[in-house]
Amino acid sequence: MNSTQNSQTPDAAEKWEIQLRKGSLELAILAALWKGPLYGLEILRNLESGSDLVVVEGTVYPLLTRLRSLGLLSSEWVESDSGHPRKYYRITEAGRQRAVAMARLWNRFSASMSSLLAPLNHAITNEEVNQEEP
Amino acid sequence: MTNASEPEKAIETYLASLRRHLRDLMDEDVRDIVDEIHAHILDKTSADTTPESIASTLAALGPPQQLAVRYHTDELLQRAQLSRSPALVLRVILRWATLSLGGMLVFMLSGIGYCIGGVLFVMALLKAFFPRQAGLNIQYNPGHTWSMGFGAGSGPHTGHDPIGLWLIPICLVLGGGILFLTFRFGTWSLRLFSRPRRAVSAGSAEDLT
Repeated sequence: MNSTQNSQTPDAAEKWEIQLRKGSLELAILAALWKGPLYGLEILRNLESGSDLVVVEGTVYPLLTRLRSLGLLSSEWVESDSGHPRKYYRITEAGRQRAVAMARLWNRFSASMSSLLAPLNHAITNEEVNQEEP
Repeated sequence: MTNASEPEKAIETYLASLRRHLRDLMDEDVRDIVDEIHAHILDKTSADTTPESIASTLAALGPPQQLAVRYHTDELLQRAQLSRSPALVLRVILRWATLSLGGMLVFMLSGIGYCIGGVLFVMALLKAFFPRQAGLNIQYNPGHTWSMGFGAGSGPHTGHDPIGLWLIPICLVLGGGILFLTFRFGTWSLRLFSRPRRAVSAGSAEDLT
């Protein structure tokens, strides 16, 4: 019984992590576009370099399309030096308002979770020390 | 076939498959999506056009069928299901009707529902402006027979109208209810329609090419 539970734990944790990443992707995209318009691959690279998010490319493009249809982003095709046009996304005013609201909620949630998780920090530190020791 | 055209062929095959699986969306949306994915592939492989690079780029995007399902779910269904616009839901159902018998049936039922709802609203308006010409009309004929009519005529009714002006709120409530139920039926059908495609995205059968 215990061994079954233990073997399922990493899988369950992985699923939870995927859901967590997926849930934060919308905010991450809005944040990536905060400073100015970017095209798809630039957004992907921005997300990968600016966060721990391991972004699945096939997830980002449909999400960009959905955010555009919700009016949070606008897009336009722009000719480029690379020989083919690129679709640039720009955050709209509604997108900025949504991003601010989401960021506020994120910060509040994160702060409350941090205080809740404080007792676990000791266990995490111990686990890390044990992993470092041969 | 030369080796140089192999990467292009792989991209074309991928995009053709994506286009095919996106056929339930509007043509302009399909064009836009395929163009964007094409641009992404070209951007990602601009420095390295080897077959291996192309293959890893396409693999990172996922199978075209799965990618199409994500668009389908995100674009079509999100818009239609969450929409408050009956026009948008009808537009999506109309598109669906061109593709399958199920879609056609849903479109026909939706059409009937909207027509009945619309007629009831018109009746309420007619009754409000022409109370003697519009409404329920029961005629008692000689020989103990009777006939009943419902609608509007050019002249005043000669029969008995037992409902009278109550017809206005009845038609408004009934018409509104039918319009609402028809709208909900449309979004519910679209949700049902999306289920097998979600199952596909979870990794079931069908060949990808």
